[in-house]
Amino acid sequence: MIAVLAAEIRRGDLSPREAVQDALDRIERDDGAYNSVLSVRGEEALAEADALGAPVGMLHGVPIGVKDVIDVAGTRTTAASKVLADNVATADATVVARLRAAGAVIVGKLNTHEFAWGASTTSEAFGPARNPWDTERICGGSSGGSGAAVAAGLLPGALGTDTAGSVRIPAAFCGVTGVRPTIGRVPNRGVIPVSWTYDTVGPLARTAEDCALLLDVISGPEPGDASTTSVAAEPCLAGLGQGVEGLRIGVVSHLMGEVPLDPGVAGAVEEALAELGRLGARVERVDATFLRRAEVVQQLVMLPEAAEAHLPWLRTRLADYGADVRARLLAGLLLPSSAPITGQRARRALAEEARPLFERFDLLAAPEMPILAPRIGEDTVDVNGHELPYRLALIPYNSPWSCLGVPTASVPCGFVDGLPVGLALTGRRLGEATVLRAAHAYQRVTDWHERCPPAPA
Amino acid sequence: MSADSIPLPALAELRALARLQGVEPTDTDLEGVLGFLATVLPALRALEEQTGRDIPPAGLYLPDPEAT
Repeated sequence: MIAVLAAEIRRGDLSPREAVQDALDRIERDDGAYNSVLSVRGEEALAEADALGAPVGMLHGVPIGVKDVIDVAGTRTTAASKVLADNVATADATVVARLRAAGAVIVGKLNTHEFAWGASTTSEAFGPARNPWDTERICGGSSGGSGAAVAAGLLPGALGTDTAGSVRIPAAFCGVTGVRPTIGRVPNRGVIPVSWTYDTVGPLARTAEDCALLLDVISGPEPGDASTTSVAAEPCLAGLGQGVEGLRIGVVSHLMGEVPLDPGVAGAVEEALAELGRLGARVERVDATFLRRAEVVQQLVMLPEAAEAHLPWLRTRLADYGADVRARLLAGLLLPSSAPITGQRARRALAEEARPLFERFDLLAAPEMPILAPRIGEDTVDVNGHELPYRLALIPYNSPWSCLGVPTASVPCGFVDGLPVGLALTGRRLGEATVLRAAHAYQRVTDWHERCPPAPA
Repeated sequence: MSADSIPLPALAELRALARLQGVEPTDTDLEGVLGFLATVLPALRALEEQTGRDIPPAGLYLPDPEAT
């Protein structure tokens, strides 16, 4: 865990080189089973560890991985696509610069669904990332390599990106904690975009405490970067131990059974909500069916934005895209021009309609995913008797929070048939501190987040 | 015209629109787009009808700072 490892390094029990070498050894030994790391920064990372001076930051000497859509100077950013197979970044993304300023050492670039656009991390060009709990299954996506590497213990923490669930889904499927921050809290400069108005970088780690640490390091306005908000956000780590006594948690009714949901997942989430209630939170059901409009709103905006971002490559490298991403990009290219405007108009209306919900409750809760991790190549899933395309099954659980731009964490809350289940906790805009405080309180009385997958065969 | 009776464009029309933007998809690509449009166009029309036209679109980069 990051907090423990950082403390060991600060005490001098372990040197940055030893911490980095340990991560590199784990990747070398185990990642053949998971394919979670696309580029290993072996020599560079060791040299950077050796060059660290006296501890100056919270992450001094801690090895971290970043999703391979986030630039690290001098290292490939492939986005797991043939289109960018030889693309070497010339500068650090802002989030990478902030990690380095806090003393972290970037040891690898992590597998992703091609161009961070898909929820299975099964790139045609770079191969699928495999779930450490069952390597025949997907680890979710698009930040699947980040989820797998943390779950397998290759790295204590990683950064992913989230447009429509891409941090939360792999966190849930891999049994780790992941946070999609408020849009604008974390700078996107140096990150390959999917959708300007939905993208955000977020941390994945074993615990809420580690996510709070990472988030505090990468958060904050960046002068000249229009992707960040100038509104200051409350730090997450300082108030983490305040507990949930008196917090009002609204359980989104339609996501607890009206929309297709695996009964085992529902049971694990119900038990987690009962635990939060025993800890002093006031938990009650709330009707928020209007949020289902977010499912189409997000598609109307995200598809054309992605098509626009990819236009130069669509013109010259169309055949080099994987089939699924190419299909989505072309759909975005050929949607009516009214689609993103109608989508953004409906998005504002949705935010207005959601306002009373966030006044009434401190947090909203729901399952992060309605299903357990599907098998690799399984495009259709059975959700409590409903046959659904995998992609459609996940949208009702993820789009509302992306659409509203509010922070959401996926917190490990149980296992069904040996596979992890995630609880989604959603806060007000810039309310990450409350989200993580509740997750931390829950993790102090449960051990789901501490469980480790079996060693690879 | 009801939302579920929106006529879909022909492949040639879609190809012309793609060419306008400098992109040359295959027929297979365009058939996939048609399948997507068959689902999304009625949803778009329904959303247009549900959403007041006096509501300005959300920001094109960040959502409203005061939202939620």
